[in-house]
Amino acid sequence: MVEAKKVENIEFKWGKQRGVGGKKKDVKFYESFSYDHVEYALYDSVYMYEEGETEPYIAKLMKIWENADKTKKVKVLWFFCPREISNYLGDEKTPENELFLASGEGVGSTNVNPLEAIAGKCNVVCSSKDSRNRQPSDEELQEADFVFYRTFDVGNCRILDKIDDKIAGIEVKFLLNRVGNQSSSGVPKLDSNKKVSGNVVATNDTRILTRTESYLGEKATSSSRVEFNEVTKLNDRLVDNSGEMASSSSKVEQISDIKPSLANQKSSPGENSASNLGLGEMTKDNKKEGIPSDIIASSSKDYVGWSESKVDKVFAYQVLVEEKVKVAKDSGDLDDRPSKKAKLDDLAKASYDNKVTGVQKVSHDSNGSNSKSVAQTTPASEDKSKSNPTKDHHENNSSLSKRPKPDEKLTRLANGKFPEASLRQPSEEGSKTNCQIQEVTRRPEADRSKWFRGLPWEERMQTAHEQETLVLLQNLDPSYTSAEVEDIIWHAFKQSCTVKMIQRTALASPHSGQAFVIFQKREVAEMAVAKLDEGCLMLSNGRPVVGSIAAPCFPGKQSTFFGHLVINKLRTHKQREMKEAVSTSHCSQPNTLEYEMAMDWCLLQERSDLALRKLRQQQRQELRKLWVTLKCK
Amino acid sequence: MYYLIYEFDVIGMTLVVKANYDGMCFWTEKLGMSNLFRFWMYCYRLSVPSYMDSTSTAVADYAAFLEKVKRTVYVDNLSPQVTESVMRTALGQFGTVKNVQFIPNYTGPKNIPCCALVEMECLRQAEAVVSEITQFPFMMSGMPRPARAFRAEVEMFDDRPIKPGRRIQCRWVDRKDPDFEVASKIKRLVRKHAAEDLFLLQQQLAQEEKLAKQQEETLKANYKKFTIIDNVVSDGTAPGLAKFYNMKAFDS
Repeated sequence: MVEAKKVENIEFKWGKQRGVGGKKKDVKFYESFSYDHVEYALYDSVYMYEEGETEPYIAKLMKIWENADKTKKVKVLWFFCPREISNYLGDEKTPENELFLASGEGVGSTNVNPLEAIAGKCNVVCSSKDSRNRQPSDEELQEADFVFYRTFDVGNCRILDKIDDKIAGIEVKFLLNRVGNQSSSGVPKLDSNKKVSGNVVATNDTRILTRTESYLGEKATSSSRVEFNEVTKLNDRLVDNSGEMASSSSKVEQISDIKPSLANQKSSPGENSASNLGLGEMTKDNKKEGIPSDIIASSSKDYVGWSESKVDKVFAYQVLVEEKVKVAKDSGDLDDRPSKKAKLDDLAKASYDNKVTGVQKVSHDSNGSNSKSVAQTTPASEDKSKSNPTKDHHENNSSLSKRPKPDEKLTRLANGKFPEASLRQPSEEGSKTNCQIQEVTRRPEADRSKWFRGLPWEERMQTAHEQETLVLLQNLDPSYTSAEVEDIIWHAFKQSCTVKMIQRTALASPHSGQAFVIFQKREVAEMAVAKLDEGCLMLSNGRPVVGSIAAPCFPGKQSTFFGHLVINKLRTHKQREMKEAVSTSHCSQPNTLEYEMAMDWCLLQERSDLALRKLRQQQRQELRKLWVTLKCK
Repeated sequence: MYYLIYEFDVIGMTLVVKANYDGMCFWTEKLGMSNLFRFWMYCYRLSVPSYMDSTSTAVADYAAFLEKVKRTVYVDNLSPQVTESVMRTALGQFGTVKNVQFIPNYTGPKNIPCCALVEMECLRQAEAVVSEITQFPFMMSGMPRPARAFRAEVEMFDDRPIKPGRRIQCRWVDRKDPDFEVASKIKRLVRKHAAEDLFLLQQQLAQEEKLAKQQEETLKANYKKFTIIDNVVSDGTAPGLAKFYNMKAFDS
């Protein structure tokens, strides 16, 4: 039941009038106004709320007028956030606060709306390097709520880097960063082909606006908006500080706008029926976190009122809220969030701002028995890695129990070497003098190896492994080739060998390359390993080579692959044909069950990737720290 | 074309060099015995290509290799049952597949998914493959775990040619050298990192297993539910009940 126009007493005052227009010259155009104690002027960027939408839209005021019947209207030019045009962005990852100004001819770039739909002022800075644009300072860019430098042409549905001269009939220089006071450019006329808004109802708590979404509808991200009843706080007046409102709304927007590459990548217009499960989890998560800040508290209450959502949004929000909460939290309520990499570390580094205090303490205890004296750092940064709180306890326990293992393994690795080495004759180590550098050139018989084919590598490796002539070298430059490594071995040990550089996969470390070396004889291999251990063969770029007797795993008939599910149908007469039917490779469509399950996997993959990235970062830092102390590089 | 011919006379033990232009010899010289040695050295050096001088073939080879890398896609998260023909048909939807090479896993834990390098015909096709597979979940040989695709990098190839102009140096560091300590620390760090990597991989595998099990259970439950519903509808129970309770469902 829609109420009649019931505008409560929000402060409003017209500013400078610009002129008159309309058929009967009874429409008054203005340059500025004050609404709820906030000053607005032409070409300002504002937030506009629509009932039923989670986030506000952002728009630029293009025209402001008052009709004869005292209704106040604004014509606005929209900004698109990357989510709305994700189909046209493709793979590209844009920063969170980037917007795209609408341009071009077509439906959806501008709308006329009641002035009351304005929810606040927004600080949008144009960072385009266009000559007409006043270049913003760094502080301005930092403080800005949003940034834009590209436009989205609604006619061609394309993203344009170059800004036209005129957008929506207004010269572009007005739309870019403000220089000083601007003068109006003549009396604008009311266009008859403007899209006029529907009913105007101002209720107590929400402002309604309309927005033509025809093109959006086709690409269908808009239908994923969810019910947003009480977006503002419960007292819900814009009265005091719409500034605060703007900031809180921007925060809410940021929460929902944090775009994991997941949401971007797997955008889809399908319907979701499994949303309830996701929703349930979502609210549980929010409640569990004990969210401190008011804003997140109010928005979490709102999320309870969701009626529908898309899977990608659900997961995105789930991930987002978790992420945001993590970032926002100061003290750890995180017993149910172990660091994903919970491993061999102690709490030594106080400088890390440690969020996982509870878990870390436990880990420290279990590490007490660690015999290794190597200083191990706390990878506190992995706390950012996401893990589902509901599953956490199990993970936590299992990961804790796993933690001693790598320690043991490490000690085993290291200790395994040293006793081995000590058994042998300590080979004359670098009898060379300091910093005597050898240039590695091709060894003489390099070409001979090309004379016969030899057995395929795997067989050779297998025999070598049995004969114990297989050695694994680590910490090589990953870009070395097998031939280069052979030459290095020749120069260092005066032995010829065959080398295979291990191909790097996405999981492998970019810092350290590995290679398998097959020596001629077992003694040679052992001698080499011993020499590498005791002495130090330093390659260019400060890389000491690490060698060990290799224990490769040979990929046999690997039958365990997680992730491919099979339904064991009842034995029907169709069994034989079913067996032969193999699913062809295809891109999954969004309206299928497999799509949603695939989303689960994508989420897991993203998490794994994040954890791996953090690990690599930390490893890089550790390596750098030591590397800079090397004198002779 | 101008070229030199070296003739070694075994009987007389003399070396004669002839300069030819377009097949016509216009100059000869007898090289003394001292020059013989120089000649052998020259021949030897010719036969041993050094990668330190940038011969044109090395550079060209490397350039061709780089171009091949650009055209190649690295595909990950594959089930071990994916064979070359499967890859070909799968990625053949995007263009012409020139070559498929699986990357064997010798070092990692046993159950990590397989990966492969697929060489496409041109750069544009490779880019299309990567962007399609990244944007939409691509199922290969089973569902619902999607495959991943990236642009290939130089180090993923094991038959790569040597980068021309690269110099490697190596030296044995003396114990008394202060760098020795640092180097030992680095070595230990490298080992630690390797262990960390392995651990992380195992953790990821555990999580994958968990997700797979969970999905399997959900799927089974859903499947049972749907079959029950189907059965009830098809064998007449549901319509019968509907009639009994005067409900309009199942009227078709």
